[in-house]
Amino acid sequence: MEKYPLIKTINGRRYFYRFSLNQRVQHIILALSVIILVLTGMPLKFHNAGWAPYLYKIFGGIKAAPIVHKAAGSILLILFAYHIIYLVYVIYKYQIVPLRDKERRLTSGMILKLLATQPLVPNMKDARDIRDLMTYLLYFTNKRPDGDAFTWKEKFDYWAPFWGMVVIGLSGLIMWNKVLATKIVPGIVINFSLIAHSDEALLAALFLFIWHWYNVHFSISVFPMGMVFITGYLPEELMIEEHYEYYVKIMKQAGLDNEIRPPHGAHSELSTDEAEK
Amino acid sequence: MSLKRAARLYIVGFIFIVLNFYPSKNLFSADVGNCLLCHKYPGLSRIDEQGKMKLLYVNEDIFNISVHLKVKCEGCHTDIKKIPHDPVNKVDCLVECHIVEPSSEQKFSHKDVDNYVKKSVHAALDKYGMPKKFKEDLPTCKNCHDEPLYRPLSFFKQVRPGISEAALGRCRVCHKKEDFIIRFYNHVTTRLHRTRNPINIAEVCARCHDDPLLVERHNLGTRAVFSYGETFHGKAARFLDERVPDCLDCHVNTGESVHQMLSHKDSAAITYRENKYLACSNIECHPGTSQQFASYKVHAEFNLDQSPVQYYFTLFFIILTGGTLLPLMAIIFLDLIRRLFPDAVIPRRR
Repeated sequence: MEKYPLIKTINGRRYFYRFSLNQRVQHIILALSVIILVLTGMPLKFHNAGWAPYLYKIFGGIKAAPIVHKAAGSILLILFAYHIIYLVYVIYKYQIVPLRDKERRLTSGMILKLLATQPLVPNMKDARDIRDLMTYLLYFTNKRPDGDAFTWKEKFDYWAPFWGMVVIGLSGLIMWNKVLATKIVPGIVINFSLIAHSDEALLAALFLFIWHWYNVHFSISVFPMGMVFITGYLPEELMIEEHYEYYVKIMKQAGLDNEIRPPHGAHSELSTDEAEK
Repeated sequence: MSLKRAARLYIVGFIFIVLNFYPSKNLFSADVGNCLLCHKYPGLSRIDEQGKMKLLYVNEDIFNISVHLKVKCEGCHTDIKKIPHDPVNKVDCLVECHIVEPSSEQKFSHKDVDNYVKKSVHAALDKYGMPKKFKEDLPTCKNCHDEPLYRPLSFFKQVRPGISEAALGRCRVCHKKEDFIIRFYNHVTTRLHRTRNPINIAEVCARCHDDPLLVERHNLGTRAVFSYGETFHGKAARFLDERVPDCLDCHVNTGESVHQMLSHKDSAAITYRENKYLACSNIECHPGTSQQFASYKVHAEFNLDQSPVQYYFTLFFIILTGGTLLPLMAIIFLDLIRRLFPDAVIPRRR
């Protein structure tokens, strides 16, 4: 695996490593294929809407749009399979093997513990962070929760499409290969597949275009667009705002204890000071 | 009569004569009785005894591309014996018109079609010859048919709508009358494909089959066209795909007339539970389909009465969507406001 410096300084500003090139490419393929899937799928779901035929026509109308939809769906499913293999490979090579070498043994309990403590697996801190965020949003405190490497929002962003991919992908494959599928399952499964595919897709689309895009594009902190999905590095201000606990950990690890900035409330002032300098 | 008024009448009369003798661009129609002398005027209409307005205008251009273009007006309007005529009766589609059917050399009529309908699910009488319940709901010819138009197909190099000049060139070798060639070409090629596109067929069926009261009266169990519209077939039809099946493709036994449509309870019907897969497994649709495939509910409405399991399955996703998005949207809303007052805090009582 390529080694990335945890902190980069460009023009006096610090950037913190978040995503490898491999992960960023995966995300771009995911984003593009999902957008195409939504644009070619929603006109079918809302076939009575006035805009539906026009949107469908952009993708070649009824003759071509379903082919585009299936092609994008295939790319997404291949990506999903690749991601699973990638995850297994990375965890095995960089975590399980070193653990086995260190402990000189490997039990299923050790593997389970390792998997349960992966940075993207939800934990009790996420529950506490949600509680603390609500306390902050409802003005009971002016302190935002100190996020870890991955906040509950990011875990939600990861696991929601993960679940969606299974539901939408499986139901899509059944509808696509209905003759083959009904050699195994009854035809009524196609009815359920249609409901699951279309309703889960609507949920996924709304989730991504409202929640995910708010957090990475429309929120005042990142507007008009966070660049981390392209550069792989997050600016220090955003690191402080969303991942303070992790930020402190990384700064200490880099021997920069003296340069750790205070959390949230003051960070806007710091940015102003920095701008004045 | 004053001179001025007489002059005006002469001018109007002159225009009337010129207009009537000006040749139309299509000279195929069978208007031997010159009925279009009056009926060609847009807006020609009258209020009948029931107070309904009847439009009596005949668009000659449209009539000349209709399947009835060679039928004389009085071939269908048999009660018209003089011009100007009295109010006419409704056309009886079973009348023998002046067309001679070439294979039997008999006068043509739609009686055979009526015989098919009498054996179909749409027959007004049951198999014992007794009137069916709510027989007034059952369709007559004109409930489904308006004036059918030719939809010719060109097969030169590729199939596309329209007349193929290349094919007409071959016809002209033997046949000398241009209007016969074009009419015969239209007659044949129109019947080689659907006379209407799937959404038009569905709309015709919807006149009755999407009427909730009629559906309830006849215990049909579904608003058939609505539920068809929720399938991929129906959605593709709405996007004007002509390759998808319409009502007739699945409800008419292969090789039989659409007028012979049988009830799904009839074991001879293609829609009978055991036979349904035969409609799906058509070589142009889903070849190789099994009985299991045909257990797919084509006319599911996702309502509690008709499909309770699907209803709850749909409800689950509605709750999942609302339960996921509403709290997240509330957080977005609160976050937007919070960013205006980043340091604000409700003071606590000591």
